[in-house]
Amino acid sequence: MTAAKTIYLDYAATTPVDPRVAELMIECLRPEGPHGNPSSGHTFGTRARAMVEKARQQVAAAIGARPECIIWTSGATESDNLAILGVARFHADRGRHVVTSRTEHKAVLDAFKQLEKEGFDVTWLKPGVDGIVRPEQVSEALRPDTQLVSLMHVNNETGVIQDVAAIGAICRERGVAFHVDAAQSAGKLPLNVEAMNIDLLSLTAHKAYGPKGIGVLYIRRRPPLGLRPLSYGGGQETGLRSGTLPTHQIVGMGLAFEVGEREREADVARIAALRERLWQGLAAIGGVELNGHPTERVAGVLNVCFHDIEGESLRFGLRELAVSSGSACASGSDEASYVLRALGRSDQLAQSSIRFSLGRFTTEDDVDRAIAIVSREVTRLRALAPHGT
Amino acid sequence: MEPEYSPTVVDHFERPRNGGHFEAGEGVIRGTAGGVAQGTMFVLSARIADDRIEAVRFEAYGCPHCIAAGSWLSERLVGLTREQLHTWRWRDADQALQFPLEKRGRLLILEDAVHALSEAWARLIP
Repeated sequence: MTAAKTIYLDYAATTPVDPRVAELMIECLRPEGPHGNPSSGHTFGTRARAMVEKARQQVAAAIGARPECIIWTSGATESDNLAILGVARFHADRGRHVVTSRTEHKAVLDAFKQLEKEGFDVTWLKPGVDGIVRPEQVSEALRPDTQLVSLMHVNNETGVIQDVAAIGAICRERGVAFHVDAAQSAGKLPLNVEAMNIDLLSLTAHKAYGPKGIGVLYIRRRPPLGLRPLSYGGGQETGLRSGTLPTHQIVGMGLAFEVGEREREADVARIAALRERLWQGLAAIGGVELNGHPTERVAGVLNVCFHDIEGESLRFGLRELAVSSGSACASGSDEASYVLRALGRSDQLAQSSIRFSLGRFTTEDDVDRAIAIVSREVTRLRALAPHGT
Repeated sequence: MEPEYSPTVVDHFERPRNGGHFEAGEGVIRGTAGGVAQGTMFVLSARIADDRIEAVRFEAYGCPHCIAAGSWLSERLVGLTREQLHTWRWRDADQALQFPLEKRGRLLILEDAVHALSEAWARLIP
């Protein structure tokens, strides 16, 4: 084993904090920084409050929303839970049918499973083999008692993009609340909650070069969308999410989103070129197939399966690369990815799939070294395998 | 979390000994067990000389423990007689390679491959 640094190609799991964001956060944590409680009325509090509100505007601007629609949470998992459980429970007397897909993030799947336990009727839409849920599927699933649809904008495992604008239009027409988990799309795709008819949107900072532990739930206010809180206490965030606001985290998320939106087009172009370079290099090895739609994908994610290779040996052989097989949240299980299985991949191909995800700080050298390492290991392991497998 | 691998397993996985196979011919035997669909497969081929195993080649499809086991076995079996091959047991490999408990089934497949080799040897003897 060489002592060379592990190459980070796991941006979809989490991103390094952008140095500009880190610097601003560090300033907040210094003795002379805004340590006051943003809910306090004195100057320490109001100083912190001003920074929180500026960050709120920065995030709102990045998604075409008004600042008063932005609720701070601890991350997309909490935002998903708050949106799904909060809205469904609030509107339960209106209808107990809700709709989502089988390939959502676990935070959404498990929230819907909880709704099932509470007596809600859940329709689980199955995407096509390309990972896309067609708007017609949503339209056909809606009933008079449907009150909520939840679909992710970009799938965390495959990078496949859902047509949330078309689905939002359908839901708006039918008077059904529409929640979108945009954890993987912020900073990568244009987001406009008004234009896309989105009523609830989950965001997280740590996939957009911000810190971990902070996220946002966008909630439509005009007309107001009722939502039952998950936590009670100090009444922060208009009573929807109690808890002292973490100024340094919020400031970090605000700047990360502002920078992300400003640099999105340039970032995406550069990352798309690197992803293509990686794909060409991997495809040249042979016996490598793409998982998910070939073009409706975000620039940075490349999920591929390797034929005639056992998954655990492949992952161990590639340990010089920081990559994922299946989602980070699902690691710890020996089971094949439920997302890839839902796209029709066999257990074996699902388990010998690797998700490479590139980002702002990925270089051509990273990509070229990754290709060399993958080529070496795949060739080596295939040569050791019984012939005719 | 991926399993932990002992230094011996890592060594054999990164630098496998005797990968490949012997072409069918005089004094060459072959034993196979498992399958790709099962997630574990071994193909062992050996050259016999003077009633002992002279050399072994292995092919393996499976986890790093399995690749390492094939490599380790390719050295371990050299010099054995047919009787020793017939009575070989998986615990021998487990002691050397420390398979995790949940992977013990794969060692049974390895044992099946060794026994298949011994049966192939028995068929050679007129």
